[in-house]
Amino acid sequence: MGGDPKLSYNKPIPNQGNHTKPFWEGAKNGQLMLPRCVDCNRVHWYPRHICPNCHSTNLEWIEGSGEGSIHTYAVQHMAFGPWAEEVPFVTAYIDLKEGDRMLTVLRGVDATKPEDIQVGAAVKVEFEQANDDTFIPYWRVVEE
Amino acid sequence: MPGQLFKAAAIAGAAEANEIGFLENPVTALELHIQAIKNVCDQTGIPIAKIEGVFSTGWSTELCEHLGITPKYIDTTAVGGCSFEMHVHHALAAIHSGIIDVALISHGENGHSRRKIGGGGSGNYGAGAGALSPAAEMSMAYGLGGAPSNYSHAMVRHMHRYGTTSEDYAHIAKVTRDWATLNPRAAMYSKEKHPFGGPITVQGVQESRMISWPLTILHCCMVTDHGGAVLVVSPKVAAGLNNKPVWIAGAGESMSHGNMLEMGDFTATSARHSAQTAYTMAGMGPSDMEMAMIYDSFTITVAITAEMLGLTPPGEGHTLWKDGHAAPGGKFPVNTNGGGLSFNHSGMYGMPLLVEAYRQLSQTAEDGVHGDKGKQTDARTCVVNGTGGSLSTTGTLVLMADD
Ligand SMILES: [Zn+2]
Repeated sequence: MGGDPKLSYNKPIPNQGNHTKPFWEGAKNGQLMLPRCVDCNRVHWYPRHICPNCHSTNLEWIEGSGEGSIHTYAVQHMAFGPWAEEVPFVTAYIDLKEGDRMLTVLRGVDATKPEDIQVGAAVKVEFEQANDDTFIPYWRVVEE
Repeated sequence: MPGQLFKAAAIAGAAEANEIGFLENPVTALELHIQAIKNVCDQTGIPIAKIEGVFSTGWSTELCEHLGITPKYIDTTAVGGCSFEMHVHHALAAIHSGIIDVALISHGENGHSRRKIGGGGSGNYGAGAGALSPAAEMSMAYGLGGAPSNYSHAMVRHMHRYGTTSEDYAHIAKVTRDWATLNPRAAMYSKEKHPFGGPITVQGVQESRMISWPLTILHCCMVTDHGGAVLVVSPKVAAGLNNKPVWIAGAGESMSHGNMLEMGDFTATSARHSAQTAYTMAGMGPSDMEMAMIYDSFTITVAITAEMLGLTPPGEGHTLWKDGHAAPGGKFPVNTNGGGLSFNHSGMYGMPLLVEAYRQLSQTAEDGVHGDKGKQTDARTCVVNGTGGSLSTTGTLVLMADD
């Protein structure tokens, strides 16, 4: 993972697994790819080797809508490594429109006013380039 | 009616390492283990050589070698802080099946000293697939670090669902500190013992340093040194002890997830299931419990768990503290040692729960060393619940005083 000098991304960058490649490939094109079970038709997150709902191994990838809502959130005032420079920042678990849940650092919110953030608020995904191979999804609160 | 394993084994004794807390002279986890083992064997009169089963979070080989014993039952279950309640469950089954008569459950963790001397704190806890797990792959980018940064999300969801406030939970920290001021071995016993020790107020909890909103530092447990050991024995062995046994009436364990990404309901834990198993085995229910020892890694942990154990309706766990029932002198004492919040929490807190439950039910909780006047309750039954990981894993025990 060579750092591109043009990129300033300094946060931890995930190591990509073999079975998660379609997700990271989609992310390069701004697509939120999600694993779905062909047999029970349910989307799950994170990507599995087996469907956690019906235990089928007949899995496929679909392009998600990139829409969701805040399930819950918190404001981090203590963090480690490069994230320590960003405190306070808001983390959130996002309910995906297609089902199941993702973790994110939430954008478009004021970390100094946590009471103003609403559980259930609509969010949309965006991707930030971290290096040549990795575009990391972040979720942003949709302006009403 | 109780199940087959009801009182199939007893806790013969429970002891701690010689010194615990924020130790000035660094100790290793192994030292903490060995001191506690020596102390519990002296207490019960059961020689170390008679130990037949060894239960610990990944330490069993090293402990047996160090003690020079060759057990016939080895268990290294390490699924976070509740592992020790599960060890009791496993020991109960091993004893009931006739494989062993004497089981050692041991804990040693130098959560504080590790900062100076490093190493060997938590016994392989949570290694799993590590960096190669897809859950870690999809979580590691987002700046979460340590337990508080995760648990705060559960508190916010609970607040959203039930209309609770962070101040509601602050009562838990305040009341638990009140218990610690009755326990000379508690890290936060007094101002003399620790600059931040002694009584605190709800307002003080709310105004302390923010760690992960809405959790201030006083909503969070400490990181200290602790060693503890209990012996679980067959009824036959329990009949010949130096001291009073405490009976295992029920036991259960469960889990709902590992990574918080997979926590379906942020306001519930698998304690609902592990408690049901334990109550069924005991032939008892929440209304039969006279006190509780509940893992309090954070105020939200113990509030949710009280609900899961059936001690309050959903959404009202915090009222046990806010209404004073859980406090010293209250009708339903909880965390009478001062809890992970104010007594001691080395990283995995399941052992101190067992030790204090033993002391309360054997009427040794107010001996001047482990308790001042007012700490001993008259409880004859106690529900004990450990929670591990990110509200992930639970072990529940129903314990009863000797007749
Ligand atoms: Zn399926």
